[in-house]
Amino acid sequence: MQKLRYESPSIQKMNAGLMNKFGTRTEYEAVKQIDGVPVKTLIEQYGSPVFIISERTIRQTYQSALRAFKTRYPKVQFAWSYKTNYINAVCNIFHQEGSWGEVVSGFEYRKALGNGVPGDKIIFNGPEKTEAELILAIHNDSLIHIDHFEELYQLIDLAERLNKKPRVAIRVNMDTGIYPMWDRFGFNYENGQAWQAINKIVASGKLQLTGLHCHIGTFMLSTDAYAIAVKKLSDLAWNAKTQLNTLIKYLDMGGGLPSANNLRGAYMPAADMIPSIDEFAEAISNAILKIGFANNELPLLILESGRALIDDAGYLLGTVIANKRLSDGRKATIMDFGVNLLFTAFWYEHKMSPAQDFTHHTEDMVLYGPLCMNIDVVRSSINMPLLNRGDHVVVHKVGAYNMTQWMQFIQMRPNVVLIDEQGNTYLIREAETLEYIEQMEKMPAHLKTIQL
Amino acid sequence: MLFFSKNKVFALLILLVSFFTPFTGACGLFAVIVAIMAAHALGFGKEQLQNGLLTYSVVLFGLGFGTNFEFGIAFMALLVVGALLTFFISAALNAVLNKRGLPALSLAFIISTALLIVASKSFSGIGLTHRHIYWYNELYALGGNRLINLLTNIETWNIPDFVAGFFRSISAILFQVNIGSGIILAIGVLIYSRIAFLLMVFGYSIAIFFGYLMGGFNQIDMSYYNMGTNFMLVAVALGGFYIIPSVRSFLWIFVSVPIAFLMVSSVGSLMFKQGIPIFSLPFCITVILFLYMLQMRAKPGKLVLTPVQYYSPEINLYTYINGKERWMPMMYHQLSLPFMGEWMVSQGYDGNMTHKGDWGKALDFVVLDNEMKTYRYPGNLPEHFYCYNKPVLAPADGLVVEIIDFIEDNEIGGNNAQQNWGNSIVIKHAEGLYTKLSHLKKNSFKVAKGAFVKKGEIIAQVGNSGRSPEPHLHFQVQANPYVGSKTMSYPFAYFTTREKNDIVFHTYKIPNEGSFLSNITTNDQLHQAFNFQPGYLLKVKADNYAEEEWEVGTSVYNETYFYCKQTKAVAYFVQNGTVFYFTNFIGEKNNLLFYFYEAAYKVLLSSENKINVKDNFPLSVYAMNTVKWLQDLLSPFYIFLYMQFESEVKKDANTLHSGSLSFTSKRVLSLFGKEKKISTATVTIENGKLHAFTIQTSKKRIEAICTL
Repeated sequence: MQKLRYESPSIQKMNAGLMNKFGTRTEYEAVKQIDGVPVKTLIEQYGSPVFIISERTIRQTYQSALRAFKTRYPKVQFAWSYKTNYINAVCNIFHQEGSWGEVVSGFEYRKALGNGVPGDKIIFNGPEKTEAELILAIHNDSLIHIDHFEELYQLIDLAERLNKKPRVAIRVNMDTGIYPMWDRFGFNYENGQAWQAINKIVASGKLQLTGLHCHIGTFMLSTDAYAIAVKKLSDLAWNAKTQLNTLIKYLDMGGGLPSANNLRGAYMPAADMIPSIDEFAEAISNAILKIGFANNELPLLILESGRALIDDAGYLLGTVIANKRLSDGRKATIMDFGVNLLFTAFWYEHKMSPAQDFTHHTEDMVLYGPLCMNIDVVRSSINMPLLNRGDHVVVHKVGAYNMTQWMQFIQMRPNVVLIDEQGNTYLIREAETLEYIEQMEKMPAHLKTIQL
Repeated sequence: MLFFSKNKVFALLILLVSFFTPFTGACGLFAVIVAIMAAHALGFGKEQLQNGLLTYSVVLFGLGFGTNFEFGIAFMALLVVGALLTFFISAALNAVLNKRGLPALSLAFIISTALLIVASKSFSGIGLTHRHIYWYNELYALGGNRLINLLTNIETWNIPDFVAGFFRSISAILFQVNIGSGIILAIGVLIYSRIAFLLMVFGYSIAIFFGYLMGGFNQIDMSYYNMGTNFMLVAVALGGFYIIPSVRSFLWIFVSVPIAFLMVSSVGSLMFKQGIPIFSLPFCITVILFLYMLQMRAKPGKLVLTPVQYYSPEINLYTYINGKERWMPMMYHQLSLPFMGEWMVSQGYDGNMTHKGDWGKALDFVVLDNEMKTYRYPGNLPEHFYCYNKPVLAPADGLVVEIIDFIEDNEIGGNNAQQNWGNSIVIKHAEGLYTKLSHLKKNSFKVAKGAFVKKGEIIAQVGNSGRSPEPHLHFQVQANPYVGSKTMSYPFAYFTTREKNDIVFHTYKIPNEGSFLSNITTNDQLHQAFNFQPGYLLKVKADNYAEEEWEVGTSVYNETYFYCKQTKAVAYFVQNGTVFYFTNFIGEKNNLLFYFYEAAYKVLLSSENKINVKDNFPLSVYAMNTVKWLQDLLSPFYIFLYMQFESEVKKDANTLHSGSLSFTSKRVLSLFGKEKKISTATVTIENGKLHAFTIQTSKKRIEAICTL
């Protein structure tokens, strides 16, 4: 007989219900492998903690999202939102699937170029673009999305100087009935600034007004908001066509589509709350098709969805460092990953699964990270099976934003590993080392020596 | 037009031979000049006269008249009157017969000559000549002793009667009976068409054999115009000219030549009593009869009437083989798939679920995910099915003739056998051509009965009404406007299927069950670049070639073409919104237009996927060599030589279709399956305009720049 696993004692609330023959049950299932690769092997090979990315999930999610749109609207283009996850290997999976690049800084822009994305398939967004970056983008015939009038004037000026006619779009913000209203980016629709910007562009004759862009928020839970946004954007496009004789070639609806993560403080689980990509596709496509564009003048629909396409494909594997009991009697478990790696822990109640077998006993606990810092709380209250030191844990749906917003704070960033469709693993970003961190540091001569 | 040919070399040879009897030849020439002058004066158009359909009977009349009558004032008067009469009869017969798709052949000549011969018996001012008995006199005047010696020498050659008869028969078309003329004409025929030559030999041999069987004819009789010539002409006309040459057309000669034989004997002996030679009357009757009979068939079958006459059996055959797919647009309406994105055929034609009997030629479509499921978890509501609620598109332009829109969707697994078709729409595209889409969602119709819909317009959404246990789209083509009409087999014009990792392009096919289909998404820029409208002028320049100007025009048959102003070459093309392809090239070959014809022979106007488009050139556009001669001879039976074409538009993720774009193509010569690359080409398009094309062969490189 196999030796029974030790579990530390747990405290359970008295449950005064009818007895049943199944005893207490837990909804948890041990997740021992990812895409057929055992978690144990991954940790042995790449250490703990480690980020795992599933190429199969990325491709499947991408294809099904694209299908949702393409079976409803004839001209659809996805652009990979670099800020969501700009590890080059990840970006290139999207580019292989046909995605363009959507960048919000010169750094991301050069990253996209470096990945081999042709300049004319890069959408350059964001409030800050330096003159040098704009010149580069103009030379590459990229789609420049203008955020403010200063940028607009600068572009007109540059176009004149370079004697080129850059392709531009304006970012439009609007009231779509959701709160908070994202009115800090782009030109407002309701107060007429968006229309004013369009007029200025057309009147200048120096820029090609190619598209219109909006991005109404993030983790949107309402499809109606998109339908309203499409309606308002299409109105602008229609007016541009009928009043300014300018054919708007694309409508960029931005991103903001949610993933299946549970938002902090949400009453219902995500699966019951968030609309599927199909529902968003339905709302957006129907709204454009209703406007009345002729079949051959239908604008290209661009989507910059990031989170919804990558979140499911990312996993974080970690290990239990210690258990302790807090002053109020609650159990606390300390993991080797914290908010330094799991930035999204501030927004989500991440789903966690033990990576090995466990008994049916569970207990409410706090999950802490390894940082010597009070903010480092991964889950403030989670009902989990009992874990011992050295046990492994899988955090689900961490593909978006964590590998870009992670902090090199107290700890260094770990390995990132890709599992391809055949189950082979590849190290796609090496764990940081002291040398790497200190590479950029410069030591003034008088501080070189210390004596203690 | 004599011998069905438009070949210039052959025409010169005919002219040469006809002047072996200079007087006769002069009569022919004179008659046709008179007829043409009169035609111009009467206001006949250049187009009507140019192809010689109305005047070649006049030439024959002139030649025949000159052969038979003595020269004099009465002769001249009758020649003029007769030539005009022939022309009038020609015009009338052509009008009557061409309307029914039949040729008038040399009927006008036969009628007018017969009339004149009968009439001349009562005219004392004109008499039959004996000149043709003493034709050496004329020859002597023309070429002296040497020519006479040559021709008499040939006559004394020791060739079998069978062969000698063959040549005499050929010469008899020009009212001569000598082997020398026959040989020259035979060479002419061979230059004009190997198939025609083969058919002449065939027709002649069958006639001899048939005569031998009947025991009534000997070979000497064959040598006269009214004998052997008729059979050869019948063989050419029905074996390879008005019918696409094939094994079948050759076999039918075994029937048509004996019929002509019968005519020669019967009609010939009737007319002989009146002293009227029958000339080619048996030929005319047999051919017209046979062609009219073929037109009455309900199904065209495999004995194919020449769809477009190129005046050469070879060109007709090669163009036909090559153009089977190209004729599709003439036979079928251009239908596109009635949905967006990629769908799968869940039940094909004569499927084993519901596509049975009269309703068998129908297709069911669904959307699948990567795991080949039609729904997402849990799949107990129509909304969970990927195809549910998806837009349904009009497969082609048409009129909405029926809409049923009151039936509720079934629950999953349910079945409404009472209202079998569920909510449906029937669209009329042409007389007797309707499409029906069924199991749609109630209240989802975007159009009303009586509306005119455009191809690709959204007409409704997929539902789950009628006999539909789970949401799917039912599509069928029918000949009647009713919901519930029986189905008919009908292809989709252009679509792609996904096979493993390849995207395969299909033209005019019926999709198979289980295949994943998508419509072709055209690239706006390519579409614009190849959207050549009449009047469009393109200047093309390349080193070592004279600058050319190509003008786009439209013929009276609504064919679009490039006309090169410098070389007068014409390249016919089709652009139907999905594919651009050339259909024919006429004129000089060593010029830029021909190179462009070779480079852009067929182009799919889409850059969405890497799609290889294949085609073959008609062999007739390529120059003669030994292999080609052999191929021509065998072509009705077996093709071993192919000039293959492949093109591929560079896959481009630029869905905004801006900037530049290119496609490559190559020509591969295949001889008995052994392939050899002949040339490669690259064509570039910039900002929606044809910019340049480059051709690389083993010997040279041509870089041409196109400007407006």
